[in-house]
Amino acid sequence: MTLKMETRVVDGVTVVSCQGRIVFGEEGTELRETLKRLLASTRQIVLNLSGVAYIDSGGLGTLVGVYSSARAAGADIKLTGLGQRIRDVLQITKLVTVFEVYDSEAEAIAAFRRGAA
Amino acid sequence: MAFQHTTGSQSSPGSGIFPVLVYVQGNEQRNIPLDHSPFAVGRKVDKDLVIADPRVSRDHALIVSENGKFSVVDQGSKHGTFVNGERVERRTLERNDRLEFGVRDVAYVIFNPQHATSNTAREFLSQISGMHISTETTDLEKLTLFLEAARKLNTIGVLDEILVTLLDATLKLTRAERGYVFMKTDEGALRLAAGRNSKGEPLLDDTTISHSILDEALKSNSEFVLTDTSQSLDLAGRQSIVAYDLRTVICIPLRKPQVQATRDAQAPPSDPSAEVMGALYVDSRFASRDISSVSNDILRAIATEAASLIENARLVQAEEAGRRYQQELSIAASIQQKLMAVTIPEVPFARLSGKNLSCKEIGGDFYDAVNTEDGLTVVLADVSGKGVSAALLASTLQGMIYSQIIARMPLVEIVAAVNRFFTHKHLGEKYATVIIARVSRDGELEYVNCGHIPPLLVCNNEVIRPTHGNLPVGLLRDATYESDRCSLHPGDRVVMVTDGVTEAENARGDFFENERLEAVAAKNGNLDDIFAAVADFCSGTPLSDDCTVVELVYTGQP
Repeated sequence: MTLKMETRVVDGVTVVSCQGRIVFGEEGTELRETLKRLLASTRQIVLNLSGVAYIDSGGLGTLVGVYSSARAAGADIKLTGLGQRIRDVLQITKLVTVFEVYDSEAEAIAAFRRGAA
Repeated sequence: MAFQHTTGSQSSPGSGIFPVLVYVQGNEQRNIPLDHSPFAVGRKVDKDLVIADPRVSRDHALIVSENGKFSVVDQGSKHGTFVNGERVERRTLERNDRLEFGVRDVAYVIFNPQHATSNTAREFLSQISGMHISTETTDLEKLTLFLEAARKLNTIGVLDEILVTLLDATLKLTRAERGYVFMKTDEGALRLAAGRNSKGEPLLDDTTISHSILDEALKSNSEFVLTDTSQSLDLAGRQSIVAYDLRTVICIPLRKPQVQATRDAQAPPSDPSAEVMGALYVDSRFASRDISSVSNDILRAIATEAASLIENARLVQAEEAGRRYQQELSIAASIQQKLMAVTIPEVPFARLSGKNLSCKEIGGDFYDAVNTEDGLTVVLADVSGKGVSAALLASTLQGMIYSQIIARMPLVEIVAAVNRFFTHKHLGEKYATVIIARVSRDGELEYVNCGHIPPLLVCNNEVIRPTHGNLPVGLLRDATYESDRCSLHPGDRVVMVTDGVTEAENARGDFFENERLEAVAAKNGNLDDIFAAVADFCSGTPLSDDCTVVELVYTGQP
């Protein structure tokens, strides 16, 4: 298991900071289960991936999967802290057009606040 | 020369309880059951097989049973003992072996010919548990025989046969009239697994047994419950006991043998009923014999051994199931490899080559090539994940795309249809990156890239990476797709790779990356140069993902 997750609440927005690799298998499952659990009680999640150096195709699938089910449930997941590698992957797969990506965690949280206001 | 054998009645081949010696002398042939050990052969009249011929020594040879195998041992005979024509001092016997004692060819013995007995576990067991036992043998000695059978059985995975044999042995030991084995189903209910009476007939109906005693025994903590209805007035009123005139009932819960104390001291003490695998039930009626005097030692021993026997049988079954599953899997793998085998079409205007390195037996990468009137179409796909699930998806994807290319569907419609199909099927997070490229006779290239690494267009040793791209297929239901076009000149090349190539890692954890790929692709080499560059870069670090490279060279109109 090479993925650690930390959850805290900032201004009513749930921030999940990931550390490690998001890959097919245990890590992907853990990410999915964690976000699923959180989505039961919150509709606003910021996923901070600044500690994630690598995401494989399976991990990407998981990310899109939880994003889609969050949207379907009326919730939203915004991304921040993307390293060059994840940026590249999202660019190649054009998923950059699907996710809302912010340069900083504060901006992502602020975007939720604006939406709520 | 006279022949006689002194061991009881003859049995014909196929009656099957003991190994059989077929004694052949001239036109005469007799079967002798090899029902004890040592079995003596010689000229003396007290031998088990007497061959009255001067060339046969008085004490010629013995046939002995050791660890379930039979051997012939020469007793220093003058004219020797022969197995299949070879003189032996001692030899383990195999089926159909030909034994000769002093006299050659005139008289001989065939050891346990193939047709004599079938070799099923059941036969084998009855050979042991049914072995003739003299009246002096104590019950515990009989049980030892049974346990011997049980140990040998651990190598045989036929649970039903084990249950029947277990019943036969138990009926023999307890002298009960009927016996049943119940096994617990996954839902926790008891299911009749086998039933036998003391005549060895199968019993398929368990309605005439005392289910209340069965239930009681399962709930109790004891190793066995022996109920003598004549001694216990409150039992006498129970329905089945009255209706079927039951006298004695013995019920032995079969509990999973304790392997080892768990290391986890926090684990709650286990509930005894939770480990019950089933029950062994025997009974007798008033009209028949009384089994209430069966010794507790025997019942306790049966309880322990029967449970471990069944557990072992189950483990063997699970192992067999695992083996079968492995076989199925390798069949699936070979089918997939055949499905994925590519026949590259020969066309006058282009040259195509492709190579795939799978890091697992079955992978998620594939490429395909189809020639139609529209041109030569190349498909390269990478299904997310690995192993069987990825391979299944890859096969489906390949089939869908192939048939649509044949039907000359526009490329964007092909990928849109595939995306609709996969998202409609709710395959979880499974998706694929796909690139389909079609080059026409006049060099027009149309391609649609769905989440794949951009292809490399190599024109005059210069590499162009187009930015065109779409979402992968199978991820998002409402994804839309567009294609890109460009004109190729003779000598221009299109190189397509899966991300296993660019993400090939070396020992330091660096990736091969686009730059290295572009550098090697720019040289006018071939596919092997790219794989060589990757191998050189990794320098021994094994690939973690499939690598596929496809190169399309436009050669121009002839």
